[in-house]
Amino acid sequence: MQRLYNDFFGSFGGRYVAEILRPPLDELERVWLEAMKSDDFQKELDTQLTEFAGRPTPLMFAENATKALKGAKIYIKLEGLANTGAHKINNVLGQALLAKRMGKQRIIAETGAGQHGFATAAVCAKLGFECKVYMGEIDMKRQRPNVFWMELFGAEVEPVKGGSSTLKDAVNEALRDWASSFETTHYLLGSALGPSPYPDMAREFQSVVGREVESEINRRNLDVETLIACVGGGSNAIGFFYPFLDETTPRLIGVEAGGTGNSPGEHASRMSGSGKPGIVHGYKSLFLLDDDGQVGSTHSISAGLDYPGIGPQLAYLGQTKRIEFTKISDREALDALQFFAKNEGIIFALESAHAGAEAIKLAKSLSPEKSIIVNMSGRGDKDLFILAGNLDKDKWHSFLEKEVKENAK
Amino acid sequence: MPNRIMAHMVAFYPDRESSIKIAGALIDGGCSYLEIQFPFSDPTADGTYIQKACSRALQEGFKVNPGFRLISKIRKLTDIPIFIMGYANTVCFHGVKKFLDECVCSGAQGIIIPDLPFDYDEGIFSMGEKAGLNVIHVIAPSIHDERLRMILSRGPEYVYAVLRKGITGSYTTIGDENIRFLKKVGAYRVKILSGFGISTKKQVNVLSAYVHASVVGTAFIKEIMQNRGKSPYKIIIKKMHALL
Repeated sequence: MQRLYNDFFGSFGGRYVAEILRPPLDELERVWLEAMKSDDFQKELDTQLTEFAGRPTPLMFAENATKALKGAKIYIKLEGLANTGAHKINNVLGQALLAKRMGKQRIIAETGAGQHGFATAAVCAKLGFECKVYMGEIDMKRQRPNVFWMELFGAEVEPVKGGSSTLKDAVNEALRDWASSFETTHYLLGSALGPSPYPDMAREFQSVVGREVESEINRRNLDVETLIACVGGGSNAIGFFYPFLDETTPRLIGVEAGGTGNSPGEHASRMSGSGKPGIVHGYKSLFLLDDDGQVGSTHSISAGLDYPGIGPQLAYLGQTKRIEFTKISDREALDALQFFAKNEGIIFALESAHAGAEAIKLAKSLSPEKSIIVNMSGRGDKDLFILAGNLDKDKWHSFLEKEVKENAK
Repeated sequence: MPNRIMAHMVAFYPDRESSIKIAGALIDGGCSYLEIQFPFSDPTADGTYIQKACSRALQEGFKVNPGFRLISKIRKLTDIPIFIMGYANTVCFHGVKKFLDECVCSGAQGIIIPDLPFDYDEGIFSMGEKAGLNVIHVIAPSIHDERLRMILSRGPEYVYAVLRKGITGSYTTIGDENIRFLKKVGAYRVKILSGFGISTKKQVNVLSAYVHASVVGTAFIKEIMQNRGKSPYKIIIKKMHALL
């Protein structure tokens, strides 16, 4: 029986924050635990998840991909079909309703790929919160479409220039904002990490993904060998795996960003031996650190996986071997994205394409009676510029030049 | 009450040698305590100036062991207490006990780690006590009375009282709210070191009635950044004189 509030998972987790942030975290824990027992809260959340987020999302049999690979049946949880394009909306709706219960007027968030910021900005527009999203300058450049959408929803997107100008620095900046604004502001952290109760809370709000998958497995009577999800901070993975964590089957595989190589700064793979125990962003887990304990630099083609830490529960489940971790390179993720686009008519987000690539590898080695399920945690609309620049460079560049010229007139 | 200052500086900022000169200037300028920050890549409690100083110090080659050697060197310049400030990851990565032992060896009297509160402390408070090191609790005005009592009823020699919400750097007005907080803390027999946004003599004068020492940090870094090319010793001595 899984507990709602754990705080620690083995030695990982905790609430390692300065005293200044204790009152809002203590309040959040209390209000969240009350809400989880409240029928009214659950009813309101369910309504929003159905009417606004578009749940349940489909579980699609990838028939053409299965035939092409001549192995296990591949099923894809099309979580990217949720409103705002990714699983992020599940956690955002849950936390935004908590913010309402706490009487906060303003919501802040960090974002990497922009999907969490996108979902937060949309929900703030809908529920009437003032919204500010912190985003690394590098991420703003590579996920420009999402910046535009957030601003369209009325959110302020604040470029973060310090450190590596990516997701980890956006978290730092959001924490700094919160330290002075917590009386009126909720920090809507987007992944299953950070100080407690965030890892527990994000898992619970994301578990809807896994519960829907479980009921489809039962309804269709599938013999599922493996579930596969990509892992940045890990919120899609922990929600997707949730109903199976206490079981011994199916296999659960978390896929990290292999980037361009194995040297420090070329990847964001923490569970393949490179991660070391540390305390960063208010929680203890495995992090990519240099030899003196400074947070190391990371790389991934996908902004959402480009983060040096991993959610504490996932780190723990990696230690206990319930979840296996693998890594997929930038190149393999791009190839998988094209493979599923051509065979299935779906566009994986670059993050989720890492899980897709692992599925391609694994399916070939399994017999056709077996099934594997991949979580397409997000769709790839946001990656248009990266994809077009990588896959169709000349045509894309001449289009952009023409656009600029015509608009300048 | 006399005006006492706990002067904060970042080890290896703007470089190793200059940071020794800065320590010298703070001491010669009359500070009563030195708080020396070990830079961390992700200082979430710090404002822009200290963040920048930390990244510069890391570029200048700050590492923990050379950091302790710097402390030993500064120790030889003065008898005033030296406290090492840092973040949890730095301490835990090196091993809590090892880190504390090295603090003692280097001649530091205490340690301030804001993201290791007493109930998520990795054993730093009990191990610090055994090692004979002051592990200084950091508290803030929003702290719940019960938590405050739990911390101060243990009878620590010092407590670091943050004066307001937020992060280091921006100016703090000393008014009813933070004075009420300082009075509440002052009801316990503890030496209050208090800061966040202290940069003027006026603030130090007002605070001196309620605290053991005022902490000044960002103000010094700002002076150094705004006077590039000038002798850091002269700049810091001048600022110290302006504060006392």
